[in-house]
Amino acid sequence: MKNNMNGKKYWRSLDEINQTPEFEQFLKNEFSEGTFDVPNGMSRRKFLSIMGASIALAGLASCRRPVEKIIPYAIAPENIVPGTPKYYSTNIPFGSESYGVIVENHEGRPTKLEGNPNHPSTLGKSNAWLQASILDMYDPDRAQSVLHNGYESKLENFATEWKSLDKDFKPSQGDGLAVFSETLNSPTYLRLKQDFLSKYPKAKWVTWDPVSDEMIHDGIRLATGRDYDPVYHYEKAKVVVSLDADFLNTETHSIRHTVDFMQGRRVNDENDSMNRLYVVENSLSVTGGIADHRYRLSHGKIGAFAAALAVELKSMGLSIPGVSELSDYKNHSFNRKWINALANDLIQNRKQSLVVAGRSQSANVHSLVFAINYALKNRGTTVEYFSSDKNNRSDTKDLRSLVVDMKNGDISTLVIFGGNPAYNTPVDLHFNEAVNKVKHTIHISSHVNETSKKSEWSIHKAHPLESWGDTITPDGTKGITQPQIQPLFGGISFIELLSSLIVADETISSGYDLTQETWKTIFGSDFTSNWRTVLHDGVYKNQLTKPANPFLSNTAMSKVFKQNSIVSSEGYEIVFKTSSSLFDGRFSNNGWLQETPDPITKLSWDNAALLSHSTAKELGVNNRDIISLKKNGYSVELPVWIMPGHADQSISVELGYGRTSSGRVGNGVGENTYALRELNALWRSDNVKISKTSKTTVLACTQDHHGLDTEKLAADAIQKRLPAIVRESTLEDYKENPNFVNEHDSAIPLVSMWDEVNYDSGPQWGMTIDLNVCTGCNACSVSCQGENNIPIVGKDQVEKGREMSWIRLDRYYSGDMDNPDMVIQPVNCQHCEMAPCEQVCPVSATTHSEDGLNSMTYNRCVGTRYCANNCPYKVRRFNFHNFTKDLPEIVQMVQNPDVTVRFRGVMEKCTFCVQRITQAKITANNEGRSIQDGEVSTACQQSCPSDAIIFGDITDPDSQISALRKQNRMYALLGEINTQPRVTYLAKLRNPNPDLKPGELS
Amino acid sequence: MSSTIQKSTTIEKPLIEGNQTFRSVTEKISKITETKAPKEWFLAFGMAFSLLLVLLGSVGFLIWEGTGIWGLNNPVGWGWAIVNFVFWVGIGHAGTLISAILFLLRQKWRTSINRFAEAMTIFAVICALLFPGIHVGRIWLLHWFFPIPNQMGMWPNFRSPLLWDFFAVGTYFTVSLLFWYTGLIPDLATLRDRAKGLKKKILGFFAIGWRGGNRQWQNYELAYLVLAGLSTPLVLSVHSVVSSDFATSIIPGWHTTIFPPYFVAGAIFSGFAMVMTLAIIARRFYNLEHFITVKHLERMSKVMLLTGSMVGYAYAMEFFIAWYSGNMYESFAFTNRALGNYAWAYWTMISCNVLVPQLFWFKRLRNNVAFLFVASILVNIGMWFERFVITVTSLSRDFLPSSWDYYSPTIWDILTFIGSFGLFFTLFLLFLRFLPMISIAEVKSVLPQADPHHEEDQS
Repeated sequence: MKNNMNGKKYWRSLDEINQTPEFEQFLKNEFSEGTFDVPNGMSRRKFLSIMGASIALAGLASCRRPVEKIIPYAIAPENIVPGTPKYYSTNIPFGSESYGVIVENHEGRPTKLEGNPNHPSTLGKSNAWLQASILDMYDPDRAQSVLHNGYESKLENFATEWKSLDKDFKPSQGDGLAVFSETLNSPTYLRLKQDFLSKYPKAKWVTWDPVSDEMIHDGIRLATGRDYDPVYHYEKAKVVVSLDADFLNTETHSIRHTVDFMQGRRVNDENDSMNRLYVVENSLSVTGGIADHRYRLSHGKIGAFAAALAVELKSMGLSIPGVSELSDYKNHSFNRKWINALANDLIQNRKQSLVVAGRSQSANVHSLVFAINYALKNRGTTVEYFSSDKNNRSDTKDLRSLVVDMKNGDISTLVIFGGNPAYNTPVDLHFNEAVNKVKHTIHISSHVNETSKKSEWSIHKAHPLESWGDTITPDGTKGITQPQIQPLFGGISFIELLSSLIVADETISSGYDLTQETWKTIFGSDFTSNWRTVLHDGVYKNQLTKPANPFLSNTAMSKVFKQNSIVSSEGYEIVFKTSSSLFDGRFSNNGWLQETPDPITKLSWDNAALLSHSTAKELGVNNRDIISLKKNGYSVELPVWIMPGHADQSISVELGYGRTSSGRVGNGVGENTYALRELNALWRSDNVKISKTSKTTVLACTQDHHGLDTEKLAADAIQKRLPAIVRESTLEDYKENPNFVNEHDSAIPLVSMWDEVNYDSGPQWGMTIDLNVCTGCNACSVSCQGENNIPIVGKDQVEKGREMSWIRLDRYYSGDMDNPDMVIQPVNCQHCEMAPCEQVCPVSATTHSEDGLNSMTYNRCVGTRYCANNCPYKVRRFNFHNFTKDLPEIVQMVQNPDVTVRFRGVMEKCTFCVQRITQAKITANNEGRSIQDGEVSTACQQSCPSDAIIFGDITDPDSQISALRKQNRMYALLGEINTQPRVTYLAKLRNPNPDLKPGELS
Repeated sequence: MSSTIQKSTTIEKPLIEGNQTFRSVTEKISKITETKAPKEWFLAFGMAFSLLLVLLGSVGFLIWEGTGIWGLNNPVGWGWAIVNFVFWVGIGHAGTLISAILFLLRQKWRTSINRFAEAMTIFAVICALLFPGIHVGRIWLLHWFFPIPNQMGMWPNFRSPLLWDFFAVGTYFTVSLLFWYTGLIPDLATLRDRAKGLKKKILGFFAIGWRGGNRQWQNYELAYLVLAGLSTPLVLSVHSVVSSDFATSIIPGWHTTIFPPYFVAGAIFSGFAMVMTLAIIARRFYNLEHFITVKHLERMSKVMLLTGSMVGYAYAMEFFIAWYSGNMYESFAFTNRALGNYAWAYWTMISCNVLVPQLFWFKRLRNNVAFLFVASILVNIGMWFERFVITVTSLSRDFLPSSWDYYSPTIWDILTFIGSFGLFFTLFLLFLRFLPMISIAEVKSVLPQADPHHEEDQS
């Protein structure tokens, strides 16, 4: 694959590429179809465009671009205009999901990922992980070569060794051979897996992920006896009940769920309707923050809550299969009024409601949730089930038996595809001891991680942006992963390794050939044109799976509930949380994500023991005190962070921190909470011993530098000004008083002493942020970081309050400390027409442009910081140090060439992505037209899955933003100081159940 | 100065004590510059120079590493550097006030202290000018503050108070320097006449041919009067302009119309406190008790009582207006000062600036040199905290609570500040060593011998 896939030659000269077999093949195919005879019904224009596309795709088919330092484009490739980025579609696998993306490619260098609008998992949007995964490719700490027992080796050496191993395994049919793999839903990978297992029938294949939807699948299997993947349609749900499911952020398919959910949430005027969200959860999440009603409940009691809800629904006449077994839950201690109101709401919205439970809830809870949705007739409308293959999903039982076999010495060779079992498998399995008994361990991984260090062979894995492959989603949407660049450090993909293992002839297979082979069977016929179309579109939707129609019998469910009672736990519990930054730890070495503060706690660069205010009091601890958590001889020490709205006697800890072999960024950041995670308590550990230590630590928090309740003066002031800063109402009140936003505006007319500049002639850029749909997921912030080359400053600088984020997400609590309401407000430069910053700069480094941008001239800035002081929104960021000085050369490649990298001593801030505006302006000018609405989108807007951010020309009466600015919920932040900001906000609404009084356990 | 009737009934104690003659005045003051310096001087100079080296070191590191070595953060973009700037500019006020305004008001008691008050002004302004220079992010581009014509037509932003500041302090420094030098000319000539060799030549150069002739005196006094007239508005303007750095902004706690007069009062207050501190030290070490008498100190303490009360009034008025405005951001800015996370700084300021000077109502205390010494230092501390409270507390908690943050200095902030005292005292000690610290010519004019016919009393 190495040689025949080399696109390097193509880009140096077309002559060379013409000699490569693919290209000749390509041309042959092209000509054999008779392209030169214009087919019937095809215009000349169309013909030319196809011809153009073929050349482009010929490039794509082998488009591993060179990264070596040569005189750039001495012989320029035909379809590249230096300075003009190219956009290609591809698919990036992420656990059991896959993200369809469009890659921005500058001179052969991918710099930014955006969602592919055609792909059901992204719908053109993204999240923080997707945005940051581009940085992973340029991580200088990636595995750069094959390692044999820690010494640098070569792929060929490994292939030779494998050949000799294969000699033993072939006759023994793979006895003693085992594979551990992370979940990868790739048609080629799964095809090769079958080939592998048919070659070695006695080999063991285990799929396992530390964070997976195993419980959801198990629950559905309990209920139906079969395997299904649920696919939710939040856009069709009028009432959504989340039982500990953070479906808008950390759960699977969060991008799509956010897009869908917000369709039912967006409001244009007071006559609109809104969906209603009930959340029952342990730790305050992004989803819980946007909820209309949130019930704070420890993790161990959520199952009982679900049972109580089911019983209540039954008493209202809903027949839920098997629920009679749960009649004990009639005598629950939960708020009866709340459950009653919720049940009522669900009953009234049959077929338009949805109950979901989080991946950390037990299988029983999921089977009950399945039954409730079934009874509410939501199946087919708000939730669909697609049959799936259990063997390709994470399975903890398989993992356990594998480790037992390893301990017994039954496994002589273990091949590990990705993952990091040495770090994240349940602690009581003692994987690290078991692996010592395995003679040969082969690990393919992007980084030399904890597992690679334990392995005999560590093979460097190519990033999905560097390799060929494919993906498939539960509904059968397939996509091709196409490389954007030659592997920076060499490296091969999973499918290349797996195929080489099967072939075992000392060669490394070509991912390109393997993928094509799979897709030849998928397409059946007309391969070339289909292949090109799929490469171009990024998705193949011709063979979608039909949703299944699982049947639920009363007797089956009764049996489920009889056998598996839903237990409610007491005492202190530890709940393991998926990190909204590092996921399961895989993003540990990603500085963008490490520095991005948690959406709720606003902590960066650390994990903490999250607990409620009363629990902190009970334990006698305060923020930053270190507590020790002990269970069964395993212990972890973590700093305390008090989280309003957290359930009492419950402590949430994030997974993914405390890595020891992650890289320069992630090593030693936070504490490894996997060290407490046991096999039978993957998500919750009960009766944990908690003791206070005398130690404290430093945590870098980007907000709440003030005490929350310790300083009453500050807390009162915040509560007093909050209603004016984040304007909020309920849907009901909004209908009665559509102009509620203006209540906070002062009656004093805003006038100027001077004749101010008129910004009447277009385009005049503006932005509107709809607080009603913003969840605070951080997608905008990370997207902005990538687009605008915003430096990473590190924990100590964040702790000092010098984070550089151009768009920050302000999180405020209101109301009761224990049951607060949470609001999120994204704040970027407001581009004030009467900007206080412009007035005070002594050297005129910040000025106003004709199209209404508050521009920053970095070259002119001397760094008095006066502008930042005088900014009422505090959105200006100062380069206190030379933050980009030590940026490794390889990381410099991820930087956007259209945006200046700022030097020390210079002020910076949001530019409204001026580089994108300029690009559009140039294009429009060249085409002799004005810029169309929607032609320019800012990075934050583009990535926002809620579509909370809308950008455009405010002088164009037909633009989307003009419509939004006419809404009666619009207000300007701190408008009373007459800064005339161009960024305006749409007030937040909640849609509480009229049966539940506001403030009643909200 | 006062009416004849009053004069005839009250006999004022002479301004200069110890039956000084013209000769003894010349001898006493010139001797200091001509004989070997006392051991204490070397000790003091050694310490001051060490601190100056600390300053050079910390500024050097600052230029090398960037403003990040300070404790600044995102809401608090200005910290100790700007506090120190305002502090030193404030101290620099007393000199011109004593020289110019008191001269115009014919306050003869000023003659004993005006020389080193002026010197102090110049050195304080040098210290002050240092800080805005080094606090910028890109020090090497500082010349962009100057309106230098260039081919790109790029000018500084004349709407920015920082630029006004730059001009105001620059002008003040220039005029103060000229004023000081003009006053020095007759004394330089005196020293020249007593000196020999190279020293004579150098002093001769700076004495620009002063012979003490009638016409020279006439021109000199006119020039001095004109310069005094020119500097008087500057005393008021400099700190008013400095205050507009804050007052023209929109930050609650800065956006205050009371700032110009309040800053000027505060500046005079702190300037007098510094003059007092230095005068008490100098009169003790150089045995100048006859020249700088307790009476001088008492008068200075009266000025401090007045300006201290003005400052106290301003503090109260700020609170009243904040409450009266009904603006929640404004009122919080002030309650937060008194009761918030920087309350310790606020109450340090109130105790030193409002309570301490109120003790000057007592004559016994006004005449107690030890008390005055301690009080003057406390006032200086209080005035430094006033600038700290204004600059930092307002920034640390402004409009949006999400951005609130606490500012605390690093070791480099502290070393730079301490180092600036090194610069000040090094210059001041050099001045004490090489130039007459008391104006010989002017002191002679207030000796009884200078007015043998009591003409002044009868005029």
